[in-house]
Amino acid sequence: MADNDIALSVRNLKTFFYTNNRCNKAVNGVSFDIRKGKTLCVVGESGCGKSVTAASIMQLLPRLSRIEEGEIIYHSARGDIRIDTLPRNGPDMRAIRGADISMIFQDPMTALNPVFTVGFQIMENLRYHTALRGGQLRDKTIDLLRDMGIPLPERRVRQYPHQFSGGMRQRAMIAMAMACNPRILIADEPTTALDVTIQAQIFDLMATLRRDHGTAIMLITHDMGVVAELADDVAVMYMGNIVEAGTVDDVLRRPTHPYTRALLDSVPVLGRGKNQSVRAIPGSTPDPLDRPRGCQFAERCTYRIDACDQMPSETQMTPTHRVMCWRHEELAHAPR
Amino acid sequence: MALSDIVRHRSHLDRRFDRIRALEEAGQLTTPTGSRALRKFMNNRLAVFGLIVFSVIFLASVLAPLLTPWDPTRINLRAISQPPSWDHWLGTDKTGRDVFSRLLYGGRVSILVGLGSALASALIGVVIGCYMGYVGGWLDAIVMRISEAIMAFPEIILVLMLVSIVGQSLVNIMLIFILGGWCGIYRLVRAQMMSLREEEYVQALRTFGLGRGLITFKHILPNTLGPVMVNITLSTAAFILQEAGLSFLGLGVPLSIPTWGNILNVAQDLSVLQNNWWLWLPVGVVISLFVLSVNFIGDGLRDATDPTQQG
Amino acid sequence: MLTFIVRRLLIMVPMAIGISFVIYLALDLSPGDAVTRMLNPERTPDPARLEEMRRALGLDAPMPVRYWIWLTGVVRGDFGNTLTGGVPISRLLLDRLPATLELSVVALFLSSIVGVILGTISALRRGTATDSILTVGGMIGVSIPEFFFGLVAIVVFALHLQWLPVGGRLLPTYDSYWDHLPNIIMPALVLSIMMTAGVMRYARTAMLDALSREFIKTARAKGLPEWRVNLLHGFRSALTPVIVLIGFRLPILIGGSVIVEEVFQWPGLGSLFVQSVRNKDLPVVMTIALLTVILVLVVSLIIDILTALIDPRVRLGT
Repeated sequence: MADNDIALSVRNLKTFFYTNNRCNKAVNGVSFDIRKGKTLCVVGESGCGKSVTAASIMQLLPRLSRIEEGEIIYHSARGDIRIDTLPRNGPDMRAIRGADISMIFQDPMTALNPVFTVGFQIMENLRYHTALRGGQLRDKTIDLLRDMGIPLPERRVRQYPHQFSGGMRQRAMIAMAMACNPRILIADEPTTALDVTIQAQIFDLMATLRRDHGTAIMLITHDMGVVAELADDVAVMYMGNIVEAGTVDDVLRRPTHPYTRALLDSVPVLGRGKNQSVRAIPGSTPDPLDRPRGCQFAERCTYRIDACDQMPSETQMTPTHRVMCWRHEELAHAPR
Repeated sequence: MALSDIVRHRSHLDRRFDRIRALEEAGQLTTPTGSRALRKFMNNRLAVFGLIVFSVIFLASVLAPLLTPWDPTRINLRAISQPPSWDHWLGTDKTGRDVFSRLLYGGRVSILVGLGSALASALIGVVIGCYMGYVGGWLDAIVMRISEAIMAFPEIILVLMLVSIVGQSLVNIMLIFILGGWCGIYRLVRAQMMSLREEEYVQALRTFGLGRGLITFKHILPNTLGPVMVNITLSTAAFILQEAGLSFLGLGVPLSIPTWGNILNVAQDLSVLQNNWWLWLPVGVVISLFVLSVNFIGDGLRDATDPTQQG
Repeated sequence: MLTFIVRRLLIMVPMAIGISFVIYLALDLSPGDAVTRMLNPERTPDPARLEEMRRALGLDAPMPVRYWIWLTGVVRGDFGNTLTGGVPISRLLLDRLPATLELSVVALFLSSIVGVILGTISALRRGTATDSILTVGGMIGVSIPEFFFGLVAIVVFALHLQWLPVGGRLLPTYDSYWDHLPNIIMPALVLSIMMTAGVMRYARTAMLDALSREFIKTARAKGLPEWRVNLLHGFRSALTPVIVLIGFRLPILIGGSVIVEEVFQWPGLGSLFVQSVRNKDLPVVMTIALLTVILVLVVSLIIDILTALIDPRVRLGT
């Protein structure tokens, strides 16, 4: 892949948490690229490290944690910027946040400040990253709200978050994130707190953004259905590692890693009828502070062999498709 | 060497993290077993310090007869206002009574008033709060209004007002404190009851057919234990300070029974303040230390029992 | 907004009346009444004569009637007379009010502002030495009995160093109003320091709570400078609980001023209260108690209105 196709590169990222005086290796060597104008879906169960990865990119990690190793390279118009080396709340990082790379969170009700109007919070973003002032800020904000599909934006600008419905709040959040036309939008489970019908609307909105603004999207989710809908690229995470990654075609049509296959098997598909096999994954994720040796998924894996006591190395099966499993050869050809 | 190693600025947090990481990778750290709350409490240096100081003072008061040969009420007119000596560790007061023994025996009464009233008002508050919170209805509304009315009085005004009506005695003072004190815990427990009543696990229990009483006492009550304990410690501190203030003014426990506040009553006289420091300074310091230790314990309890706090 | 105020008043007024009734009842049931206290204790009174005096004073009417008379008087500002001198209570209160106001208002402002600032600093510098010092300092501040602190201050500054007067407010030698400034320093400081310690702890907790909310992350994600994240988003969100908590400090301020006025012989309402309790001058005691309750209720109403003004969630009724 040519370098000017890529908006953000993450190389061997390791982020460790140090709460309760223990060292929790939440992200333990993760590499991926976000291609310009494409959507990367990061999938995995709760606790696998997907949100931590996003927080690392934005340098929004909590106090008792840090980026241990690795590189996060943002390919901006001004050149390559090593995000991992920037001081957390320094002027460089702050210039990137909100303007180059934006983030939206899971629950818009708690993510928006309840004592300020929605308009105020959007205008804040504009004021700090653009040269707009005064009435221009208001106009731009109203336009943003309208673009995101919020009716009567002139009135909505003056309203408070709790006066919006759930779906509209998330739209407002997206409006706020898109205000400065960022190159990358990170969405951390943006629809988990919303109804399914609203979910569909939000994802339509995101597809529109991608099309109209060429925004690259990093979408974090645990819902395989969403991946099928929106993803160009997929990365499957488990216990701090990416176990499989590739284009959506690679991963969903030719799932190789046992975990990916098990995930896909656990989701019922509309239209396959009531006799389709839906299998839950046996066992549960191990305690991150008491990890098994070698492959983290081994204890729940039906394809386990002795070699799994050693952490598998990453194999590039095709130029786009990579996997971390000793038995990838067999699994690539095994029927589903 | 990567760019990141050169550029990163090593803060003290970084060094601490490095240490933890090294230990973890050497396999030397384990998930501690046992009660998390207890562990957190013991890790809190201030709380442990408070516990120690509290215990020392508490035990000293309880073991008073072993620690001093002097009777705290025995008047000895031949040894008036003597400064500290080997005979009388903290000297004697205006009627020859040994100050140190008055301090110890006085501690008994002060702690009884403080801790006793706090525990009693907590008991009453919990019982009433449980019942009202779960039952609701007009009875609950009345009791709420009553508690609001009582809480509208500044404590000391309420206490002095009642003292002026019913007169001073040890029992009266404790009863008055309890009357003013039950409201806080009552509202706490009631609020917990009302919020937990709607929680899913309670509804689940009810569908299993468990009676209200059982649900209340076995399932909801343990959740309120943390805040209630914290409240008890803080009430104890407050009551001890109050009793000291009242007795200092001569309006609390009658002067015939020594309490920490009573002993300080003589400090109202300027000449005593200036010339006989041993009559008031040690007592004041002991009160402050005791209340401080109780506050440390209360804070430690609050941190330990708060489930939302990180390590 | 208006309905909000009206609703609160509808609860407050009956409660105030209820409390006044209970207070009057207590006053009435206590042994002795106005007549017996006016008499010379040496001489045994003639019962018939007592009855006559009672009738003359209207004391033979049934209790509800007497309560009503008293209540209407209170509303008009007439609290009756003291037992120990027959002085109209209202005049006595007005005489003493300025002294108490001087002390309390200073302490309230000082402690609120300093307490909030220190608490905020403590929260922002969480985990550092500054935070530890401030936190422990705050705990020491609320653990020392107020009167003891006052006594120590008197011993050090008045008796040994002789920088400040021992107590009292206006001495005969004072000409202008400002002469008594040295007198106010110690009591005001003692009262303020105690209050500040309490406010500081609450402000710290409120601030820490606000800073742990999700929207703080969002604010940072927008690339806003730290000061704006902490102060505009964090502090502003903490403001509501802080104001409520300062409002709750008022009863403690009143309680504290009672003790401080006694220790420093400051001629305010607090020391009047103590004096009256000592003299068993119940009318004064009850009147002051009733007035403090009304004050607390009014202040809590004001706090509720303030909260509604600054917190849109409360105002718009969700």
